[in-house]
Formats: sequence, C-alpha cells, structure tokens
Amino acid sequence: MKFFKRWKIRLLLFLAVVGPGFITANVDNDAGGILTYSSAGAQFGHLLLWTMIPVTLALIVVQEMCARMGAVTGKGLSDLIREEFGFRVTFFMMIGILLTNFGNVVTEFIGIATSLELFGLSRYYTVPVCCLIVWLIVVKGQYKSVEKVFLAASFFYVTYIFAGVLAHPAWKEAAIATIQPPALSAFRNQAYLFMVIGVVGTTIAPWMQFYLQSSIVEKGVTKRGYPASRLDVITGCVFTDIVAWFIIVACAATLYVHGFRDIRYAADAAQALRPLAGDYAYILFAVGLFNASLFAASILPLSTAYTVCEGLGFESGVGMKFGEAPVFYWLYTLLIIAGGAVVLIPGLPLIKLAVLSQVVNGVVLPFVLIFMLLLINKKSLMGEYVNSRMFDVVAWGTTIIMIVLSLAWFWTLRGGAT
Amino acid sequence: MSEISLTDLLGMPVVDATGIRRGRVRELAMIPHDDTLHVASLIVRTKTGDRTLPFTSLASINGEVQTNSAESAWPLSGDAEGLFLLERDLLDQQIIDVHGRKVVRVNDVDLYRELGQGHISLKVASVDVGPRGAIRRLLKGVVPMSALRKLLLQIPQRPIPWEFVDLVETDPARRVKLKISLERLSKLHPADIADIVEDLPPDEREAVFETLNEEVAAETLEEMDPKVQKSIVESLDSDRAAEIVEEMDPDAAADLLGDLTEDHTSQILQEMAPADRKEITELLEYGENTAAGRMNTEFVALGINASAQDAIETLRHYEGGVETLSTIYIVDSQGTLVGAVPLAKLVLATPLTPLLALIQEPLISAPEGANDHDVAELFDKYNLLMLPVVDDHKKLTGVITSDDVISLLRAKL
Repeated sequence: MKFFKRWKIRLLLFLAVVGPGFITANVDNDAGGILTYSSAGAQFGHLLLWTMIPVTLALIVVQEMCARMGAVTGKGLSDLIREEFGFRVTFFMMIGILLTNFGNVVTEFIGIATSLELFGLSRYYTVPVCCLIVWLIVVKGQYKSVEKVFLAASFFYVTYIFAGVLAHPAWKEAAIATIQPPALSAFRNQAYLFMVIGVVGTTIAPWMQFYLQSSIVEKGVTKRGYPASRLDVITGCVFTDIVAWFIIVACAATLYVHGFRDIRYAADAAQALRPLAGDYAYILFAVGLFNASLFAASILPLSTAYTVCEGLGFESGVGMKFGEAPVFYWLYTLLIIAGGAVVLIPGLPLIKLAVLSQVVNGVVLPFVLIFMLLLINKKSLMGEYVNSRMFDVVAWGTTIIMIVLSLAWFWTLRGGAT
Repeated sequence: MSEISLTDLLGMPVVDATGIRRGRVRELAMIPHDDTLHVASLIVRTKTGDRTLPFTSLASINGEVQTNSAESAWPLSGDAEGLFLLERDLLDQQIIDVHGRKVVRVNDVDLYRELGQGHISLKVASVDVGPRGAIRRLLKGVVPMSALRKLLLQIPQRPIPWEFVDLVETDPARRVKLKISLERLSKLHPADIADIVEDLPPDEREAVFETLNEEVAAETLEEMDPKVQKSIVESLDSDRAAEIVEEMDPDAAADLLGDLTEDHTSQILQEMAPADRKEITELLEYGENTAAGRMNTEFVALGINASAQDAIETLRHYEGGVETLSTIYIVDSQGTLVGAVPLAKLVLATPLTPLLALIQEPLISAPEGANDHDVAELFDKYNLLMLPVVDDHKKLTGVITSDDVISLLRAKL
C-alpha cells in the first residue's frame, strides 16, 4: 500500500511536468505511426533508418514553430490562417485537413480493430464499442481525466524498445544505416518512395501541428512560460523518434530477415516477434497498439472538429451543449461513426490503407508548412519571435523536399500506369 | 436605402466623371473618432497608387462605383493610422457580440446605401457571422452574380446589428486614437463579461482589462477561473493591477495575490493605498484553505449599546460589498463577538429596538484555523448566509459569505 502510494505520487509529479509537447509526441506514435514504421522495417529492413535523424530535426523545428506561435499569439493555427489569409483559403485548407484527418481517424480504428483481433475479439464488436467509448469520453466531459490514464499507459511504447533489443538486431548495420543514406537509385523504386513519404507523413502529421498549437494556447502558455514548453517539445520529439527507430529495427530484425516482407495484419508484426521474444512481448505489442490507437482516436476527431470549426467560425468547445454547437458535435460524431464504419467494410487491405493515410499526411504536410512559415515570419504577428535563419532553412527545406518527393511519387504512378 | 455587403464592394471597379475605369475598391475606411456609424472614405487601388476617395464625390454604387470627379482630385492614401479599415480590421476577425454575449468571427459586413446631401453614403448596418456571408465569400467570382444572389436569398442570415458589436484593439495607442472603449461590454453583468473574456486570446484579454473601469474590471476578475485571473494580472502593469486589485473583495484579492510570485505580489502591494495594503497583507499570512484565508475583512459590526436605527445608519455609509450585509454583528469594547443580527430582523424592527434584542441564537462562529470542510458543514447545518470568523480570544476578525462557500463547493464537484 505504501509502495503504491509513493508510486502514485511520483506518477502525479511526472504528469504535472508533462506538457502539451510530450503529449502530442506520444499521440504521434499512433496506429498510423506504428503500422507505417513496422511496414517500413519489414519491407525495407534498415533502408529507411537514415530518415530518422533528419525527420527528428524537422519535427523539432516544426513543432517548436507551432508552440512558439501558440505562445506568442495565443491563437490556434486555423484561427491565424483565417485572420491572415481570409475565408476562401481557410475553407479549402479546412476541407483538405478534414479529408486527411478522416484518413487518420480510419487508421486509428484499424489499430483498434487489428490489435483486439490479436486477442481473438471480432472487430464487429470492438470497433462499435470503442466508437461509443471515444464519443462518450468527450461528450460527457471526461477527456481531461482519461488523458492521464492514456498518458500513463503510453509507457507501453517503451516495450517497443525492449522488443527491439530482444529481437537481437544487427546493431552495427543498423547504426551505419542510420547515418548513411542509400544510393540515389533507391528512390527510383516507387514502393520505397511511397514509404519515405509515409514515414515523414506519420512523424510530422499535419493534424499534430493544429493540435499542438491549440494545446499550448489552452494551457495558457505565454511568451514568458515559453522556454519550458520548448524543452517539453524537444524531449517529446526525441522520445517519439527513438521509439520509431526501435520499431523499424525490431521489424527489420525479424520480419525482414525471415523474408516476411508484406505486413497484412497487425498480427503479422506481432506474431513475427513471438518466437523470439515470447508471449510477453506479443501481448505488450497488442496492448501498446490498442492504447495508442484508442488514445489517438479520442484526440483526432475532437482536434479536427475544433480546427475546422475555429477556422470557419462555428461555435466549438466541449463545454457547450449539443444544441449550442451543433456543427462541432455533428462533425465530431460523424468522424467517429464514419471512421469506424470504414473499418467494418469486409475485405479491405487495412494495413495498406493505414500506410496510405500516412502518405496522404506527407503529401498535405508541405501546404500546412507553407502557411506556418508565412505566418511565423509576419513581424506584425510575431514581433521579435519570428523564425531564425536556421529554422527557416530547415522548415523551407522540409517543405521543398516533401513537394519534390510527392511529385516524384506521382510521376512514378504515372509511369506505372502507362 | 438598400443593403450592400463588404464582399460585394471590395474589388468593385471605380470610374471617374468621364466614365473611364480608374481602379478598384481596396478598402473601406472609417474614422471612429468622428463617426462610428458611417464609412468615411473608399480606398481605391489605381495605376498611380492607392487613393482615398471621399464620399462627397460619389455619384452611385451599382455594380461599379461612379464618381463625379477626376482621378487627380482623389488624394493619395497616406498611412492608415487613425483609420479603421473594414477589410483589414473587421473581416475575419473576432468581435464581441454584446447581445448574444459571446465572441464571434466576422464573415461579412452589411452596409446601407443612404442618399443625402447630394451624394451617396454608406452606413454600417450589421456584421454577418452566419453561412450567408461565408458562402458569398466562397463563391464570389466563381459563380455568376445573379445566380449567387438568388442562392444567397435562400440562406438564412445571422446578422449582429452594429450597435451590439464591441471591438477589441490590443494596441493601446490605436485604442485611444480610434476611440474603442468597450462601452457596451462594460454594461453587462461581470459574470457575463468574464465568460466572454475567457473566450478571447491573451492579448485581447489584457486589452479588455486595460480598457474597463477598475470597478467593473475587479468584479469581472473575481468571476474568472483562478488560472486565468493569474495570467491576466501577470500581463498587466503593476500599477494597473493594483488599481484593479484594490477594488476587489479583500478575500478574493488575497487569494489572487497568493498565487502570484512573491516579487510580483509585493510590487502590486506597493502600488496600493496603505489601508487596502494592510488588510490584504494580513489575509495573505493565513493559510489559503483555512477559514481565515477564505474570509473577508469588510463587515458591519456595532457596539453592544447600538440600536436598530444606529445599525441602519451605519449600513447607509458602508462601502464594502453588498454580500457582506446579510448579517450585522455586535462586538464588545475588546472586539469580542457577542451576537449576530440578520438583516431581515433588523429591517423589520422599530428604530429604537436595541440590537441585542434582535440577535440570532445560537451564535455560530468559526476559529481562524477551521478548514474548508468545517466551514462548509457549518453553513449547511445552520443554513447560514454569513459565518463570522474569530481569533483565539474570540475577537471578530472577518466573515465568510455563502457565495464564497458555493464557489468552494463547486470547485470540488
């Protein structure tokens, strides 16, 4: 009892320090993240590890920009886009975000369905039940208390690190592959290009930028409190990508090495770890994926509804009643219902769909980045807090690279068709 | 008199007296210092730069803006200081809907065309926050004008009359120049103001608290969430903060200052009047969750020989909050609590009745160290409106009012 009490106090202390940056980073390793990293490792072994360092750098820069904008202006990203670029631009941006995020919502429910199927539970029961749970959490105003549970449970992510170690990976090769990009000819491979965009898209997901900035605003972080948030953001980003690295390495050491290149179900990834790491890692894998999916599923539809309603000027907020903010609640409800329904369509290649949704993230990302860059460099808005030269270089660099990669991928698609 | 929207006006071609197209409407400028209702001039983008087109030279606005003067007669636009530009400062921005008591975003602005004194003028009628304005802006230039107009008539309007709109300007210099004063907002109940202000971004909140008069600001601040209270006070100058804190109930003020850093608290205290400072410093010394930390040091207490008439006379000159008036206390020459008289009994008594004859039995009081739970229990058990707090020598030091207890209980719900 005494032990439990002390443990509880420690946990509360930790949670008190954890800020929006760390939470966002944790949600970043959602179903889309886990499934994309797993597929990347299974399909290409170590060939994508080199992306981790530049992606982490870009993630830190992008998230820091959001946190800074939130702290300095006290406004959300969609509010700022609306105020500075007008209604029409905002409208199309919001449609784009809505569609992209819908893909991500579907992916979270794919994570829920497939992880619970590892325990033999049919998705035709689990998905509707989880839809209802997610919906009730928010509508009943319990999100803040549930968030702490999710956050504590997200320490299951650490199991990926153990799973990675237990899978006896080729450490030396992995280390070299992390700092050495592959030959340029690798990019001619359409599947590889697809996966690179997916890895970037899942790590720097567009919706996270909106979510992080709103969280910073909601927490009331100001210019003065901002340095602490910056640290929070950086820690979160690094933690996320370490976990991502281990997922890729673990899958490379098992699935890839054994020639099991094509992940069709989450069970494939988990089962491949089973003979090497035993039942324990297998169960943790499933629980981890389930928690990550449910956590993100309870944030994403809500965050999307907020983003869209704020940008377009509809009433929004969980403090309001259904009748006071109908568009907000309907949007939220439909995202969940439709997202869950897609997963229940028989015969869909779910894992492929999950990875595709992350590739869409990657294609949409540069558009969000361009708006962010234009906003953050407005002196009238940010004053002395505009971007430094280095941040501009990294962020514009990321934008241009993602546009080039997307165009290259579209090009290969065209080539494939003829 | 007919209506026209800001969206229709922006980009509209402008022709000079000879019928030649000279440019397009870029902005609508108001000078709120002189006229808060009418548009003062149009800013027209021409090949020779932005020019200010005064309304005296406007002939008509009907698909295009027709003027009765030459382009050279329109002065080049200087800096926009002192001007309120409808596109830049109003469209897409957040405003306060004073009637609906909330913060809303402007989709479009509706104006009236008025004819008078030989020229046309534009009067701001309302701001549109509904779907009509949104769709007009989305489809303008994409769908033929006539079709768009027909479509828009099908869509319900959600206008907020201009007289119910208050604007928030974060730049203090512009606020003075444009005479933006939140006069409508400040007439609302402080609890409503607090709800509205909590929906605003931090800079705007600060602006509101710099603009409201101290009394309203203090009452509004008391109604706000402690976290928001703290961030607002932190953003204000310490002399402005002191002005507001002075007007607050001492217990609320002490709670607020107790949450700030020691430096900041002493800065604010320094700026306050000595009497208020002393009162709050004393309260700050008590634990926040004790009866003494919750209590208010403003109350009405009279000597044992006082009559009902004396008590009523004292009430007439009492400057504290009305919530501390529901019970009047009787103390002896040492300040020891002797009795409590409910306001109702006092009002019903004849003027010469001694106060001592009106006291409520039993006399309930709490020691300074009593915790929240004990305090709430006493209120519940004895159905109190006010609870006196006494020190170790039974000396009356303060009172706790029922509204404090309700806030306390609600925070724990």
